[in-house]
Amino acid sequence: MAYIIAEPCIGTKDTACVDVCPVDCIHPAKGRTYDDGRPTFDETPQLYIDPTECIDCGACVPVCPVTAIFPLEDLPEKWRAYTEINASYVVGGKFQPDRFQIRRN
Amino acid sequence: MAAMSSLQEIIHENVREGELHEKLDRRWVRCFACGHCCKIPDGQPGVCKVRYNQGGTLYVPWGYVGCIQCDPIEKKPFFHAYPGALAYSFGMLGCDLHCAYCQNWVTSQALRDPAAVAGPTRVSPAELILDALQQGGRVIVSTYNEPLITSEWAVALFKEARAAGLVTGFVSNGNGTPQVLEYLRPWVDLYKVDLKSFDDRHYRQLGGRLQPIRDSIQRLHEMGFWLEIVTLVIPGFNDSDDELTQLAEFLASVSPDIPWHVTAFHKDYKMMDPENTRPETLIRAAEIGKKAGLHYIYAGNLPGMVGDWENTRCPNCQKLLIERYGYLITGYQLTPRGCCPACGACIPGRWDPAFRRQITADPFVPHARSQSGLIVLHS
Repeated sequence: MAYIIAEPCIGTKDTACVDVCPVDCIHPAKGRTYDDGRPTFDETPQLYIDPTECIDCGACVPVCPVTAIFPLEDLPEKWRAYTEINASYVVGGKFQPDRFQIRRN
Repeated sequence: MAAMSSLQEIIHENVREGELHEKLDRRWVRCFACGHCCKIPDGQPGVCKVRYNQGGTLYVPWGYVGCIQCDPIEKKPFFHAYPGALAYSFGMLGCDLHCAYCQNWVTSQALRDPAAVAGPTRVSPAELILDALQQGGRVIVSTYNEPLITSEWAVALFKEARAAGLVTGFVSNGNGTPQVLEYLRPWVDLYKVDLKSFDDRHYRQLGGRLQPIRDSIQRLHEMGFWLEIVTLVIPGFNDSDDELTQLAEFLASVSPDIPWHVTAFHKDYKMMDPENTRPETLIRAAEIGKKAGLHYIYAGNLPGMVGDWENTRCPNCQKLLIERYGYLITGYQLTPRGCCPACGACIPGRWDPAFRRQITADPFVPHARSQSGLIVLHS
């Protein structure tokens, strides 16, 4: 189980969630470049939670200004695709180029 | 949810400004009570839900206890500290982890799970210490929830406890920070870490990370706390030979003299799938510990079913030094200095000059709990 960032993040990308996350599992961080070729903050439409690094603490939920973050079991049905969208970016700290490319096409 | 919000109100009435934090800009604070090191915005709690930022000030629990019980110290479990002594245990509310198999979830998850409601009791340090003494406690232990997140209040109680001649202890998940361990060092004698796994992915499922816990175990040993480790062995979760070997080898690398307790899981809270741990599994874990080089390994909570693994033997000459059946001490051979009478090897621990005998009528059913002088706030 993990938390999922859904559609309301698109166009918002507030980053308060990134600041409060105690395990730094929300990506990409603002102003940071990565050497594994992953798209940076300015290049992604939204923020993503790494599903294996997330510890399910829920600290990100109340600080999100657009209520975009949900525990998996409370994710609204209409945003179910966002489970895979989150996992398509980074898993276990590793960029998923193939999965991410599929999501974009 | 009504019960939960009223519990939250009570929690917010019993607070004071915390010491274990630094102020950041924008009225944020960073808390150092546990390994999460939460960066907390104004108006929000940390992951533990009991330490919270209001107006740029971190407020922390103060002036209450969640539950009290007086038990043999062997139940904590501490096997190398004052054998047979009564440990007066108190819990608070909340935890920085959320283990699905928590055996104290009524207190630890009180602020996260509406089904877990435990009533706090308002108390002063003097009242609590008096109650501990009246119940025959020699040791006072912060346990049941995660004591690190209520360290300020524990230190206030332990200052009073020390003045009354009590020994002090923490029973903790070990998810500490250098700051909190420095803060506790003058006031905490005994420290039990529940090392739940040696796999970071498993720890993340429980709501934490392995690294801060590894670092804290190393640090606790170096700082001179009396440290014992317990691992609840859960079939299919952490009982592989590989994981138990890595865990035991890590402990042996810190010190082969750290006692390691392996205990049996029983179905609880949200983890109902694994089978209860069988004695053979505990014996296998104990043998792995021995192979890793640990000197003192104990298979717990299955009295009479784990052979010699309840007893303390001299690692030098194998003489039987302390014999146990569950929490009951059935034989005690240590010298007044805590050494083996046969070969003279000294056994690491905190020993009395003489075994004082266990003072409960039945060590499995200690004194009934007393509520003398305590006011129930919430029931």
